[in-house]
Amino acid sequence: MAAIKGGEGKLGKALAAACGLLGFFCNPTATTEINTAVLGYTEPGRVSAVEGIVEGNHVLDDGKTIGVHFVFDTLTGASANGATPSLGVQTFTRPSGMGVYKADSGTTPLDDTFKDTRGALAVNGSMPLNRLTTWGLGLYGSGEHDYTSLGANTSLTRDLNRKNTTLSLRSAYFRDAVAPEGGRPVPLAAMAPPGGLQPRLAGDGTKTTLDLTFGLTQVIDRRTVFAANYTHSRVRGYQNDPYKILSQVDPVTGAPTDYIYENRPGARDKDMVYGELVRSLGDDSARLSYRYYQDDWGISSHTFDVRYRKQLGARQYVQPHVRIYRQDRADFYRRFLLEGEPLPDAASADYRLGDMHGLTLGLEFGRVLASGNTLTLRAEYYRQTFSAGDTIPVGQLRTLDLFPAVDAYIFQVGWSFDPGAIGGG
Amino acid sequence: MGHEPVSGGGKVVVGILTGILLAWAMTALSGCSGMGVQPWERDILARPGMQVDPDPVVTALDEHIYFSKEGSTGGLGTAGGGCGCN
Repeated sequence: MAAIKGGEGKLGKALAAACGLLGFFCNPTATTEINTAVLGYTEPGRVSAVEGIVEGNHVLDDGKTIGVHFVFDTLTGASANGATPSLGVQTFTRPSGMGVYKADSGTTPLDDTFKDTRGALAVNGSMPLNRLTTWGLGLYGSGEHDYTSLGANTSLTRDLNRKNTTLSLRSAYFRDAVAPEGGRPVPLAAMAPPGGLQPRLAGDGTKTTLDLTFGLTQVIDRRTVFAANYTHSRVRGYQNDPYKILSQVDPVTGAPTDYIYENRPGARDKDMVYGELVRSLGDDSARLSYRYYQDDWGISSHTFDVRYRKQLGARQYVQPHVRIYRQDRADFYRRFLLEGEPLPDAASADYRLGDMHGLTLGLEFGRVLASGNTLTLRAEYYRQTFSAGDTIPVGQLRTLDLFPAVDAYIFQVGWSFDPGAIGGG
Repeated sequence: MGHEPVSGGGKVVVGILTGILLAWAMTALSGCSGMGVQPWERDILARPGMQVDPDPVVTALDEHIYFSKEGSTGGLGTAGGGCGCN
């Protein structure tokens, strides 16, 4: 989005005042860029979410920057709880331990109790240490009724070769706390009937994440830029989804005999390699990216992303988008457990950890208005399909859809505006 | 239920890709690549569509969606944070 000159209006002054949070000197006459967007996400019959973002970036005459990023989102609807479908009606205890929800015969069990709002605030600043080196610092916090995340990051970037090459080193640390509705389930314990004594752990769950990223940006020629990142991420602590369960089924009939709370390993190390190529084609531009991901849970994935920005004159564009995702499942992913077999140390039926293919098709339209403000509209379709891998259905499960596809629709309106105009300055 | 481990082959892939990345960095640092432009040749590179992350708002929204719906996330070098997403 285009940078917008401003800074004398109320928003510009507020953003400038925020510089003090990180100890940066602010000049209210410097360049300010404000970007906002509202996104709607819906999975028909399942979850719907609305997310709003306001992001402001203030660039000072001496090269220092300050950025403030605020996110608010709300989530409602139903999410697959991990249990298998059944030929009979199934009844599940709600996470609170009070009341039940049901799944009709042959349907994927969905926990329909999800309703949450989340607010997140990030403040980032950077300052040049010399003509070629920049130091950055950021703070992050988010909260929802059962989850809190706090984080900090720092980075160092260095320009080389007449600023055709930029190297960066970035580290981020997060500490999350999980306080689930009704408490944390005892891992691999059976779900108790409503009103009964629920198997729960004492206290909240905590998790820490340490990320280290090495980045490179290289100008190839007048029309081509390449960027690459390598990231190592180390996660420790409580990583269960407290709302997910597995069905324990009769090995002959496939009928559910119990529901078991999931358990995931408490340590996870991730490695990611990401590359992006941007190429100008006349007035248009094409963007290709690829990411390879793997972790020691056994998950690996390939992500291909292509965007083509077609200019429609000087002031507007359309941008088709295709994203292809392929994921191999976690070692401990189990669609169900068989009654009588020993419980594994870790097990989850969360479909997000399974063998997955994802396809996103999208289109974005952007227009710079006469005022200089920018309007963007985006619509995308996202489809997830799953494969059985080496899951062998038993009994009635052979006739039921254990791996239903998930469809989602995404709509977004974005707006970049002049804070001076809004503030009357 | 045995699951063929992927981490062994995966580590090889990450090793190869990281090696390519480092080799690229070394080449760029050595100044022998001949890549790049003069300061007065940056007109096309300055276009909004030519930036590496042209719209951080879209990137942040997309990352939140895929973080919530897929088993792998991150790697784009952008700031993020946790959530109890469903």
